[in-house]
Amino acid sequence: MEFRTMSRRRLLGASLGGAGAALLGLSGCGSDHGSVSAGTDHLSIWYWNGALSDKLLAVSARGVPGVPGLKVKGSPIAGDYKSKLRTSMAARAYVPDLACANSDVSLFFPDEGEFLDLRKLGADALEDQYLDWKWKSGISPSGRMIGFPLDAGPTALYYRRDLFEKAGLPTEPADVAAATATWDKYLALGRTLKSRAPGKPFLVSQISYVFRMALYQSPKQFVDADNHFIGDQQHVKRAWDLAVETYRQGLSARVLDSTPDYNAAMGRGKVASMITAVWAIGGLKDVAPKTSGAWRLTALPGGPTNYGGSYLTITRYCRDPEGAFAYLKWLLGPENQLKSYQEMALFPTTPAAYSKPAMRKPDPFFGGQIPVDVFGPAAEKAPVIFFSPYEDICNTPVFQELTNVETLGKNPEKAWRDAMNACERTLSQQGVS
Amino acid sequence: MATVAGAERAPTAGSGAEAVRGANTAAPRGRWRRHVPPYLAISPYYVLFTVFGAFPVGFSLYLSFQDWDGIGDMRFVGLQQYRWLLHDSVFWHSILNTFEIWFMSTVPMLLLALVIAFLLNAQVRHATAYRVAYFIPNVTSMVAMTIVFGSVFAQAGLANSLLKAIGVDGVDWLTSSLGIKSAISIMIIWRWVGYNALIFLAGLQAIPTELFEAARVDGASSRQTLFRVLVPQLRPVILFAVITSTINGLQIFTESQVLFYSDDPGTTGGPGQEGLTIVLYLWQKAFNDHQFGYGAAIGWSLFAIIALFAIINWRLVSGSERENRPRISWRKGARNGR
Repeated sequence: MEFRTMSRRRLLGASLGGAGAALLGLSGCGSDHGSVSAGTDHLSIWYWNGALSDKLLAVSARGVPGVPGLKVKGSPIAGDYKSKLRTSMAARAYVPDLACANSDVSLFFPDEGEFLDLRKLGADALEDQYLDWKWKSGISPSGRMIGFPLDAGPTALYYRRDLFEKAGLPTEPADVAAATATWDKYLALGRTLKSRAPGKPFLVSQISYVFRMALYQSPKQFVDADNHFIGDQQHVKRAWDLAVETYRQGLSARVLDSTPDYNAAMGRGKVASMITAVWAIGGLKDVAPKTSGAWRLTALPGGPTNYGGSYLTITRYCRDPEGAFAYLKWLLGPENQLKSYQEMALFPTTPAAYSKPAMRKPDPFFGGQIPVDVFGPAAEKAPVIFFSPYEDICNTPVFQELTNVETLGKNPEKAWRDAMNACERTLSQQGVS
Repeated sequence: MATVAGAERAPTAGSGAEAVRGANTAAPRGRWRRHVPPYLAISPYYVLFTVFGAFPVGFSLYLSFQDWDGIGDMRFVGLQQYRWLLHDSVFWHSILNTFEIWFMSTVPMLLLALVIAFLLNAQVRHATAYRVAYFIPNVTSMVAMTIVFGSVFAQAGLANSLLKAIGVDGVDWLTSSLGIKSAISIMIIWRWVGYNALIFLAGLQAIPTELFEAARVDGASSRQTLFRVLVPQLRPVILFAVITSTINGLQIFTESQVLFYSDDPGTTGGPGQEGLTIVLYLWQKAFNDHQFGYGAAIGWSLFAIIALFAIINWRLVSGSERENRPRISWRKGARNGR
């Protein structure tokens, strides 16, 4: 009896001690660097599915070519990637050595110390291989380069050649580009389209695309480098007015993205053109497979720009910064960017790749047109834009009000004032005015 | 039924504890030693609760007085977050939305649940199969169901097709204020009606059958039986259902978040922000805009609102139900044909 009680207590004590040690281990183990790869023979890189080439990740997990002894293993992070990365950084534990960052890399500028300055690791020597605007967008206002160019999102006007033809409009990419050189011409074409093409197709799925593209054609956005709110100025108002004008002329199908209604509208030819980035091709092919061959691509009305595209960062917890930079140089060099394009449709940020045969394959979805003929020049001519850390919180209320205008019929003047008030209120909470 | 089974088991457990205590007193050991094992035995729950329950609660209160973007240094701002909150029209809009959706879902849901419980209590065949069927929505993944409902409520979706089939014009389910709130309410009703029906059913079965028999002998109609006999007898159970529905209803999140999810420019609750609930706004501020202090302040404001509701409910209950408390003894009394 005595022996049994003791052993039971010992068992309890041992298991509790074990649980306690495990808990301590959770918080403490490997905290000498805070890197998730501490105690292993490889570096770790976090990405979301589709952000990096699986084939190249498989190669670097065995060993990065040209860098003896260096292994880099990728961890696809499911769910809310941004929150998970921020959580690990807030906890200063289990932070990856390298991490992908999305087009909103500027959100990290206030915490730029969390990332290594890639210039100090020798990035400057690579600058001329990459798109100028993309390179600059990874550099914070203080001059620290935290984001290395991963992929780009050059934009184009996607249009339904068949519907254009039936409306008696130009059909060839060069002619359509000339007919839609400005936003006003584009809207005029939309009116013709709606009155003459069968089924009265709309020009755009929703007016927020007009706003987004017109705003991205401006080097200035909502907040400038000195943390001043400039979103109430002409460059934003112009984009807003264009979007509202599109609504007034009845050229918007007024369907929200990634809803069943959007899918139906695209599949049934209710929307005859799209103004968006290269990465929308995959989604369009999924949503409207029956329209294959009918679409064409040409230059964006009002000039080229970029929408989206990711970056690669090296965190300050990285166990081997030189190794990580060597890996980055290998993974994002022109050769492997070309491979990533072939495998994952990641549009290269190295313009040298655009002329390679692998990128010049005709796409039957676009009637045999070579997409890079449109997207390549757009990527090379896109403007340098300054994105502050506050663009998202300003975009959110403006897009909300545009939705309110086109779906609820809200008065555009009032919507604009409400949007500006919401921007200023949220910004003042962040110390921006 | 479950209550009775539990009550029967209770004395057995008590006498077991007695026996253990007797054995321990016999052994010459320190007082604390006798008490340590049981505390150790129940400690896993409290350890986990402290780490994943109590700490986050306390930390969020601390956060609500700070300005923090989730990575960098925190800055103490006192009551500034709460002051901003009071002047934030979007926050007030989200409170209004939440209450509208709560009202539009809870009232019909509880009425429907009562009717279903009444029907299930009648002699129907395959009663268990029906009960399981009504409970299944409650254990189904809400995210998956919201995606399905997203198609149902689309412009050319199932809901509008059905309406057209009976000659009614289509409704702008997801692009109008009333439509958005109705769609979300229908999803909530669909999910919780079975759960509440089962709770009502349990309460119903605790009511002595003599009461119904007496009602029948006196020539009461089904309607009269429902509202004159059943509802008054079910009062405590109904109050329980109202309170839990209130707590759940004020925390609506998944339905709006999935229905109106947008990565760029962010999830804001659909056209007119009519689907923006308090918790969705909290999530948007904390995890989209990285204003964790503000998000925490929203969370604690929600706590205050729910606490206020709980107090009102408690006052209502304690005012008129004093003679019936505690509830278990009421049920036992009912079964014994009090």
